[in-house]
Amino acid sequence: MPGDDADNSQEMIDPAEKAAAYQADGQTRAGEAGPAEAAMGKGPIGDSIQGSDLPADNAPHVVDSQEGGDSAATPAKGPVEGAAAAVVPPETVGDAPSPAGRVPELIDIGTPMTTLRAMTQRDWWTRPRLAGLLAVLLVSLTCTTTLFVRYLLRPAPLPDLLPLAVDLDYPPHYLFSVHGLDQPVGVAYSPQQERFYVAEAGGQRLIKAFDLEGNLLAAFAPPRTQASQRAPVYLATDDHGRIFVTDRLQGAIFVYDADGAYLDTILSPDLTLSKYIAELTEGVMAGRTFAFNRFEPEVHYYEASSVEHTLPAPGPAAWSPLGLRIDAQGRGLLTDVASSRHCVREIPADVIQSPSWYYFDPAYRVYGETGQEAGQLLFPNSAVADSQGRIHVVDGNNSRISVWDEGGEFLFFYGQGAAEGTLNLPRGAAIDEHDRLHIVDAVGQCVRVYDVSGAEPQFLFDFGAWGLDDGEFNYPNDIALDESGRLYIADREGNRIQVWSY
Amino acid sequence: MKRTIHIAVLVFALLLAMVGTASANGGPHGGYTATTDSCAGCHRAHTATGPNLLMHDSSYALCMTCHGSTGTGANTNVDDGYYLSTRDDAAGDGDHGAANTPDNASLLGGGFVNYGGVPVTSIHMPDGTEDQAWGNGVARGVTSALTEGGLSCASCHDPHGSPNYRIINETVNGVAVAVAQVDEGAKDYDTEHWGSGTSSLCAACHGAYHVTRPGSGSDNQDDGSDDYGGDHSTFAHRVDMPYSYGANANPETVGFDGYFLPLAEIDTVVCMTCHLPHGTSAQMTGITNAGGLPGETSADDSALLRLDNRGVCEVCHQK
Repeated sequence: MPGDDADNSQEMIDPAEKAAAYQADGQTRAGEAGPAEAAMGKGPIGDSIQGSDLPADNAPHVVDSQEGGDSAATPAKGPVEGAAAAVVPPETVGDAPSPAGRVPELIDIGTPMTTLRAMTQRDWWTRPRLAGLLAVLLVSLTCTTTLFVRYLLRPAPLPDLLPLAVDLDYPPHYLFSVHGLDQPVGVAYSPQQERFYVAEAGGQRLIKAFDLEGNLLAAFAPPRTQASQRAPVYLATDDHGRIFVTDRLQGAIFVYDADGAYLDTILSPDLTLSKYIAELTEGVMAGRTFAFNRFEPEVHYYEASSVEHTLPAPGPAAWSPLGLRIDAQGRGLLTDVASSRHCVREIPADVIQSPSWYYFDPAYRVYGETGQEAGQLLFPNSAVADSQGRIHVVDGNNSRISVWDEGGEFLFFYGQGAAEGTLNLPRGAAIDEHDRLHIVDAVGQCVRVYDVSGAEPQFLFDFGAWGLDDGEFNYPNDIALDESGRLYIADREGNRIQVWSY
Repeated sequence: MKRTIHIAVLVFALLLAMVGTASANGGPHGGYTATTDSCAGCHRAHTATGPNLLMHDSSYALCMTCHGSTGTGANTNVDDGYYLSTRDDAAGDGDHGAANTPDNASLLGGGFVNYGGVPVTSIHMPDGTEDQAWGNGVARGVTSALTEGGLSCASCHDPHGSPNYRIINETVNGVAVAVAQVDEGAKDYDTEHWGSGTSSLCAACHGAYHVTRPGSGSDNQDDGSDDYGGDHSTFAHRVDMPYSYGANANPETVGFDGYFLPLAEIDTVVCMTCHLPHGTSAQMTGITNAGGLPGETSADDSALLRLDNRGVCEVCHQK
């Protein structure tokens, strides 16, 4: 029985003597039973020697688990089951080779598979192992140096440097909220100013500017308007840092500079306030400012001398601008919800980027019409362009995204239905540099993210749920992204802008 | 057997997966098919956070997502009381109808935040906090609790659609309501086209005021001909009567001093001839800014009257 030495009938050999002999030459005689084996009357091969079988004395004994279990991974690759490691006193590992002049005994090593076991412990414990470690170190050093050199030549995020496919598609996490807002419905980010702007639907219905820490910088509104006469909805910023704000009650787009000073109003598809006044007066005059309020019968303009003049207001315009985005090329993508035609108006970049609009008359590309069929729209809230030049239109009341190509041809729609990631009431949307389209779902109370880099959009994930706590939404309406991976989400009934981050 | 179980599990999983979307086929207010997925847009069967298994705590917030001031999902801006765009060509023949709704026309029902570009002075509070109604019982001049708790958009309007005009509920405050539809093509949002039964909506909560008996202004006796024969302590202005009963001018076509009031079908004076159902910005000054007693208005409570002070009296009675 294990551990019961009394059952051994053979004479006990003095383990100390035998150990000394082995220590002298530092070798194991694989074919010979080690001292403990001999003491237990067991052969050198084929018997499993359990730790508990060993005599509880100071003699060297099989250490089954020494060296990390190498006893089980002996060079004897054959089916030497349970064979103990070649018996060696622990203190002999790594000893110096045999002293000069000493000829090791020839040992009957039995089967060829034990040849490897005949190698010194040191050989296959030490040199290949060291060599392996060195190789690993060398490889990692090479990799690190290569990466370092590549980064010096072209600084880029790690996924772009490595030829490995890195999974970018994990949801963002909540950072903080910006309060002091009354039903925010629109938000836009300005890279030039490093600010974000918010349109309010409640209270005084102002446009508010914040820095990236959430400090209020400015609050402004169309001049000569009361809160009950304006309804700012969506915003966009251009390369000059100007802010464009659509207004559903005024039926126009108001333009401000980065600090909120009013610049101009786009009254209709081919008329701005500056152009209207210039046409009715002596033409373009420097230093002139003006104001428009749809609920007043007149427009007002002021010369540099602060003298005020009035003109009859222009008639109602045949449009109802709702959502505006300015894409990376500076092109304006405007959704129009005039009853006669719900559509998308593409405004050329040179028109949008023009420093003034005295000659505003863009050649729009218009697509879409009112309805629920393919290629039709029902209250499109925003339109964004992907890197392939396709226009993704958030077709709000049709619960889907409709896609047109650069030539104005309808391609397909997606996001409808009952599957995971489908849309309830999509509103604002924004696209990042990885071609991930972020769509705010107002009634779904979350933001849904699609990968639109390929031919077919793929749903990635959504984040957020209904609620009043941090990271929960209460009728979110719009989203803006900045270049550092932060997301700004207008949480309408939460009366706050939530800032999230990848 | 195993296969059956697998199929059953798959079907169950599929059913579970079908929550989470809402389609706006035919607009969200009706026209549902047997396999509609629209329910999940507003309801949750097991994890609802609001009454009626709504997944939101307030139907007002939900409704304003489309019908609010930003008009992001509808042209009927009931916060500001405006119709935001010209009426669509429903027949598709290029004819928007004679009763075309101009841009930014004032909605007939009023507004909850502003009306006519001016902040409101009294509204039917739709956020669920108001659960009392004047004359909701026997007597005029006292309030009592509504049957279904706080007032909200869904108290009067059926978000699922209804055969009534303006998708008015068929049951309000436990009372059956029937408001006849008008010709869909002729209907617009700034001209009155109510069918019969308009007052039955108001009477569902304010029944003590729904006095239709001829001579009720002069005789408070109950002769059995009342629609509601409870209160004999006060005299009441008759409703559901032709405007000409008191030999008055037609308030809808003639008006007074440029002010007009709407009549219901067959030139009938109804509750909404004088009152706005959503909210009003009528200003109460002088004697009408008294407050404190039932029937008295104040600067903070204009009793949903359409016109400033007592303009609603003068347009008809022209004293």
